[in-house]
Amino acid sequence: MIFSELYSAYYNAVAHILSSLAQGKTDRRELEAIVSRYAFGESGLHIVPSLLNGDWQLTRRDLSTPIRHTPTMPLTELERRFLKSVSLDRRVRLFDFDFSWLDDTQPLFTEADYCVYDRYNDGDPFEDEGYIRRFRLILRAIREKRQIKFEMISRKGRTVFVRCHPARLEYSEKDDKFRLLTGNGGFVSTVNLSRMISCTLYQGDKTLPMREKEPLYETLVLRVANQRNAPERVLLHFAHFEKRVEKLPTGAYQVTLRYEREDEPEMVIRILSFGPLVEVIAPDDFRELIIDKLKKQLHLGLK
Amino acid sequence: MSSYSELIKNFEKIRAYMREFYVYGFKTREEYTKKSARSYDDERRRIESILGDYMHFVRTPEGKSVFISIDSRHSRHNPFYKAWKSKSFTDGDITLHFILFDILHRPEEAFTLNELLDKIEGDYLSHFDEPMQFDESTVRKKLKEYVREGIVLAEKRGKRVYYRRRACELPDGASELLDFFSEVLPCGVIGSYLLDKIQTEEGRESLFDFKHHYITPSLDSDILACLFDAMQKKSVVTVANLNRSADEPRRVRLIPLRIFISVQTGRQHLLAYAPDVACVRSYRVDYLKSVTLEEPTPRFDELRAELDSMMQKIWGVNTKRNRFGKEHIEHAEFTVRIAEGEEHIIRRLEREKRVGRVEKLDDYTYRFVADVYDSGEMTPWVRSFICRIVDIRFSNRTVENRFKDDLRAMYRMYGLQKEDV
Repeated sequence: MIFSELYSAYYNAVAHILSSLAQGKTDRRELEAIVSRYAFGESGLHIVPSLLNGDWQLTRRDLSTPIRHTPTMPLTELERRFLKSVSLDRRVRLFDFDFSWLDDTQPLFTEADYCVYDRYNDGDPFEDEGYIRRFRLILRAIREKRQIKFEMISRKGRTVFVRCHPARLEYSEKDDKFRLLTGNGGFVSTVNLSRMISCTLYQGDKTLPMREKEPLYETLVLRVANQRNAPERVLLHFAHFEKRVEKLPTGAYQVTLRYEREDEPEMVIRILSFGPLVEVIAPDDFRELIIDKLKKQLHLGLK
Repeated sequence: MSSYSELIKNFEKIRAYMREFYVYGFKTREEYTKKSARSYDDERRRIESILGDYMHFVRTPEGKSVFISIDSRHSRHNPFYKAWKSKSFTDGDITLHFILFDILHRPEEAFTLNELLDKIEGDYLSHFDEPMQFDESTVRKKLKEYVREGIVLAEKRGKRVYYRRRACELPDGASELLDFFSEVLPCGVIGSYLLDKIQTEEGRESLFDFKHHYITPSLDSDILACLFDAMQKKSVVTVANLNRSADEPRRVRLIPLRIFISVQTGRQHLLAYAPDVACVRSYRVDYLKSVTLEEPTPRFDELRAELDSMMQKIWGVNTKRNRFGKEHIEHAEFTVRIAEGEEHIIRRLEREKRVGRVEKLDDYTYRFVADVYDSGEMTPWVRSFICRIVDIRFSNRTVENRFKDDLRAMYRMYGLQKEDV
């Protein structure tokens, strides 16, 4: 249903090549650059040669083509149905896009067809007019590389005024929240959008250096017992990190993964949730965090 | 002997390998025994061609292991979507595709099959020394396929059928919408296909990052799309289900009711009514090998309503083997004690409680209570409150005892208790 040559990287690359030829760009190296941009590592061996040797009768050897128009393809039924599903999503109003042209289209799915059962229930207010306005304004500022000024409530409940270069928006599917990543280096580098009270484009002429905070990474080494399907559960759970897995002679697995230091408390909780099936091997200070929690628990004397 | 091609006919061919390389990535070439060595080499090469820099190799005493390592928080677009763009085709397919859409350039112009054949030959292929030959049936078949895909319209005028391009282009201003929804919605790869249509600016980057972002479920997009299609059509399906304990997939007839997506485990389940056992069961989507759409069923609405009523008792995805009307419910509760300034723990309980409830016992003591089909699904979450749990009571004593045994095992593992304690 989804896997079709109509959406293939090769068709896409050829469309761009034909469009480039239509503009009179016939340099072979340019065509090869199109292939490397739109297709795969080895596609260069196939696409341009197939066009030149007549396997695909769309260009002649001299790169002239009988194709008269810039290639385009209408939206497929599948694409329209997906867009209709997008239009029914609770977050859609964050984007200023008109879907009325899809009125007669059946969605591929609706929110009744799936549920995200372990998402936190205090997500952002995606249907709040003020939130939508601030979201759109921030998106515009990032796109246009403009500074913004905003007012927010800090974790300690204080009102804070900030001027910054917005760099990107980060969305967590688990938290169901957006965070603004700013270009302010160390000071107010991330802000939960839901904490903002107001936000405007900065109209003044004061400049700010754009300096995004580089994430600090830590490496964690875990031993995963080969019991109760733990390897599969653990590896899938931590799949979104950069990681390496080795099978140990004991039958257990050693997982080395890289996480961002600011997420350490969350990582402790995630590892605890696997109980005795996952042991922290290194670093020692992370292992101590686990031991500390266990000591406190032992002290509570749960029978 | 057929030669290697970067493209593939069947996605199943690389689906399993990509999951293995990405999720596990410790097996050596020799351990991939289910397929032939040549098949392994071809798939590895193909995936390397698609994923490039994300592929890594490591040498161990057992041999060389291939693995895919991606920090999805910083990849902006799911790298696995590229694999969905590797469908093979024939020389005729691609030639005919671009010629047909060049002829059908204007939606208001329609042509009969014979007119199209004349144009294909006279205006396009005649420019080549050894022109390809497309017979009537090949072009008719291709047009039928495009009508099915919704990109060409066939209109009967008298006895003749006229074909024209469907007038439906993506309006401007969709790129940021698609950058976001292609990553967060099921079947997001379709959003990626749409982005390909508008991605013409060199160096345009998505403005979004995604934290806690599981990209593996995208490998199951086709299965998911078929299941959604069945739900929209209120139809029965037959799935080939590969159980972990079986080598060969088992065919099962089901009425698909809802997809359960986890944003904390990376798994997706289908909850479906299984007529053979007359109950609602969950099936791992990544274990489904194929989905065949069958006839619509008049029972869909009734069964979905039944699932809706069950939702308040499902913690994760398990319903156990309950027949309707004979529910087996397990009671679960645990109590946490917090210290001064630890109100965030209560906020955690409140936001993560799902179908449970939180009761305040005093300013520092709170109890979580739930009645669910399978309390065993809850234990990983309960463990995340270790260091604050003062009491735990599960009606399923096996689950409670295992929780306590596990706690003792952790004390031993980290040297806090001796083996004989």
